[in-house]
Amino acid sequence: MGRIGYFFLYICLGIVAVFQIFPIIWLFLFSLKDNREIFSGSPFALPTELRWDNYFKVWESGIGTYFWNSIWITGVAIILTILLASMATFAITRMQWKLNKLVLGLFMVGLMIPIHSAIIPLFSMFLDVNLIDNPWSIVITYTAYNLPITMMILLGFYYTLPREIEEAAIIDGCSVHRMFFRIILPMTMPVMSTTVIINMIYNWNEFVFVNTFISSDKFKTLTVGIQNFIGQYMTDWGAIGATLIISVLPIIIAFIFFSNKVVEGISASAVKG
Amino acid sequence: MGLNVMNKVMSNKWIIALYVLPALILIAILIFIPLLLTGYYGLMDWDGIGAMEFIGLENYITALQDLKFWESAWHSFLLAIFSTLSLILYLAISLILASKIKGADLLRKIYLIPMLLSSVAIAQLWIKVYNPSNGMLNHILMAIGIENPPAWLAEPSIVLYAIFIPILWQYAGFYILIYYAALKNIPESIIEAARIDGASPIQIAYRIKLPLIMGVVKVTVVLAIVGSLKYFDLIYVMTGGGPNGASEVMASYMYKLAFTSNDFGYGSAIGFLLLIITLIVTVIVRKVTATKEEIQY
Amino acid sequence: MKNKKAITFVVAILSAVFLLAGCGSDDDASGSSGDNKTVKFMHLWPEGSSKTHNEIVDEIIADFEAEHEGVEVELEVLSNEQYKDKIQVLSTSDELPDVGMTWAAGYLEPYVDGNKFAPLDDLIESDLKDEFVSGTAEAYAIDGSTYGLPLELNIATVFYNKAIFEEYGLEAPGTYEELQQVIETLNDNGVPPIALGNKDRWTGSLWYMYLADRIGGSDVLTNAINRSGSFEDPALVEAADKVQELVSADAFVKGFNGLADEEAKSMFMNEQAAMYLIATWDLPNYTTNEDVPQEFRDSVGYFNFPTVGGQGDMNSFVGGPGVGLFVAEDSEVKEEAKAFASFFVQQWGEKSVTQAGVIPATKLDAESLDLPQMYVDVLDDLNSASNLTLFADVQMSPDTAQVHLDMIQAIFGNEVTPEEFAKEHEDALSAEE
Repeated sequence: MGRIGYFFLYICLGIVAVFQIFPIIWLFLFSLKDNREIFSGSPFALPTELRWDNYFKVWESGIGTYFWNSIWITGVAIILTILLASMATFAITRMQWKLNKLVLGLFMVGLMIPIHSAIIPLFSMFLDVNLIDNPWSIVITYTAYNLPITMMILLGFYYTLPREIEEAAIIDGCSVHRMFFRIILPMTMPVMSTTVIINMIYNWNEFVFVNTFISSDKFKTLTVGIQNFIGQYMTDWGAIGATLIISVLPIIIAFIFFSNKVVEGISASAVKG
Repeated sequence: MGLNVMNKVMSNKWIIALYVLPALILIAILIFIPLLLTGYYGLMDWDGIGAMEFIGLENYITALQDLKFWESAWHSFLLAIFSTLSLILYLAISLILASKIKGADLLRKIYLIPMLLSSVAIAQLWIKVYNPSNGMLNHILMAIGIENPPAWLAEPSIVLYAIFIPILWQYAGFYILIYYAALKNIPESIIEAARIDGASPIQIAYRIKLPLIMGVVKVTVVLAIVGSLKYFDLIYVMTGGGPNGASEVMASYMYKLAFTSNDFGYGSAIGFLLLIITLIVTVIVRKVTATKEEIQY
Repeated sequence: MKNKKAITFVVAILSAVFLLAGCGSDDDASGSSGDNKTVKFMHLWPEGSSKTHNEIVDEIIADFEAEHEGVEVELEVLSNEQYKDKIQVLSTSDELPDVGMTWAAGYLEPYVDGNKFAPLDDLIESDLKDEFVSGTAEAYAIDGSTYGLPLELNIATVFYNKAIFEEYGLEAPGTYEELQQVIETLNDNGVPPIALGNKDRWTGSLWYMYLADRIGGSDVLTNAINRSGSFEDPALVEAADKVQELVSADAFVKGFNGLADEEAKSMFMNEQAAMYLIATWDLPNYTTNEDVPQEFRDSVGYFNFPTVGGQGDMNSFVGGPGVGLFVAEDSEVKEEAKAFASFFVQQWGEKSVTQAGVIPATKLDAESLDLPQMYVDVLDDLNSASNLTLFADVQMSPDTAQVHLDMIQAIFGNEVTPEEFAKEHEDALSAEE
């Protein structure tokens, strides 16, 4: 490609980039407006007066607890999901047994359930084992519902792992567990980082399960903080914007961290491999 | 000798069980039981409040003759088709981002930002884009001389396509992220070898990179189709399935029946049919895209 | 050896999950533990969006707890939509809160049929005797028993921007024909006449209901719904026809079928539309809400829906009670729950109107309260109301309400003819008989 080709390529990439970065800027402006400005003027318009009190309102509404709950629930669910999904994917793709395709099929079926048909049965099940209004019901639900998609993403990568590495490890007398935790898992670092990002976004933004299974304020998560500003006849959109900005910040930071891992992991495993 | 040990170790039933069962048990309890119960509730006349009454397959038969259901199913299919087609674009973007152009790393991060936002934010953004008199889109259209731009979310013939755009856009980052990781997973040596042989970047992308990540691409096709067929979020917030069902999809129809019309039995039957339809489509897609062997390197 | 290890591992993981899950789970707080009784109460006024409502509730609870030694009220607050979803989930497992919020008529019916709500006739005949504005508690009655205690009362009226009207020399219309004139003048001057957010559908239903009321009298719609009449009544067809007449006269803002009520409201409040038909829950926006510019609030007036073709009674209103309190039938602390519900209603009335701008369903002595003029006017209208027709989607069963609401979008969108509109309704209603 010549210079002109690159020039046009960058123009196109740049335009797309502007489109993609715009929502965050829009959301930030949104969070400093009141309902009138939000609905009337151009979305690009600067707020006539910077309404930082939207942020104060949000802070006063006790968002700190929600914040902490979001962090630990998201984090624990991610660790559980990725550990269980990696183990299952490893056994399905790398080990030799007859029913592996069938079991894989079962996990795929798990992708297909619409959550709104699941909540009523789940509620009554959790009620039976006394898990209603208990954050662990949320953790295990997130884990279970993210397992299938996490496995699907891992799958393609596990299929491409070179068999020689396993052979070498086994012949050296390495146990399967050791091989999995010491060799396979580090090799899949890039794809694991990818699934961490995806799980993180799902868990962080989820609210149907939280709303249904949790009733105490002390266990609620950030998405419920948004609900706080939706009224019977009136909704405080500025405050919702502020909540959304507050809740998207940690996820952007985590995203940048893990998205670097997507690349780093590869060079690291390339050296070892 | 070595291979024998290998086969023996790698087919140890106990180890397999140890690795698969925790995940399997978890989804069996939390996904399959609710799933079967959904099918079971579908056999009931139940408003979700009072007593259940067993009515056999009546709900399922009604559903099969329910024009609104098939319309919503058709809309879901269209979404699935568009989602699958959009993968080509995402793949192209990922190929560009994963090649060694300057600034690729920063661009990639920027491209994925919208994916981080929750559906609440995305819905609000696009409602403002589409607003017929104050919206960004119509402002732009009027500025370039189009006198009477459409009311995007109010026209029954347009609304469905208008609402597909934010849905596809919402998931762009998701697929780009997956493709990018897959492309970065290709050993540099293979690409280097091709380059030395004189292959152009486009040839490398098409002949080498693409076949190597085909397994991942197939998975994303399944994810796109399954995700589309059960899609709910933005439709519910932005149009509520309206006007008069013009943007209704299977999941929003099910939700309305179960939670708004208090027809929980029928809603469950629709939910179960949604699952069966998704299953059938997935099996067909898997069959069509199946190759004899997954490529290894 | 290895096998044993494997089994232990699986067991360990699973039990870890369930142990973790099990620990920290509170005991079910409802019911009586020791001497203290706990009444669970769910409402839909979150602090963030409904600060004054929320505060009043907290005050009432504090007072109640002070008066009733050993009874504690445990709160759960959700937003409107989440509230409805959650109540439905809770009722499938018989886990309704002891006291909660319900809507009237059609919403209530399945819960009463399913024996989930307790009859509250004893309260209405004792503590709350003569407390309610007539017609409000009745909306919560099924087969002679009342299952809800109404908290709000709303009527729909047309709010209009007096400044815009003045600019074009217009006056509040008293007849449909005058309304048409107003619409024409506004359109000629490039002002969108009426803000309507018909994505929410009940908004368009208000227009239809008023037209039907004026054309066919205050009973015609109610009779069609309770099956003593037919929905194919000529008046109901004509009302649908009039809707389309308004639509083709460009009476409503552009793209109304895709706009939420909230968006339409903001058009009215930003003076981008001259009229807006909404219920009186919006009154604070036009009177006391400090976030709305004084200038705009001063320029808002309202008029009763005009007569059509010389027919109809302008004192007949569409409206009705909004939310009310229910007491769960299988509550373990039913007596305390009832006491709380009754206490709540008695405390709510005056506080709600003076602090939160809600028009309560309990009788008010308007003279003694310091209220904005628009409230006084509305309360006067309520006193002289000849009839109050309950919102159609509330009157109907949830199933039929969906048909009605979809049809409203269809008739406004010119997708069906008035005859088809009436027939769809008739089919849905007769299928239920």
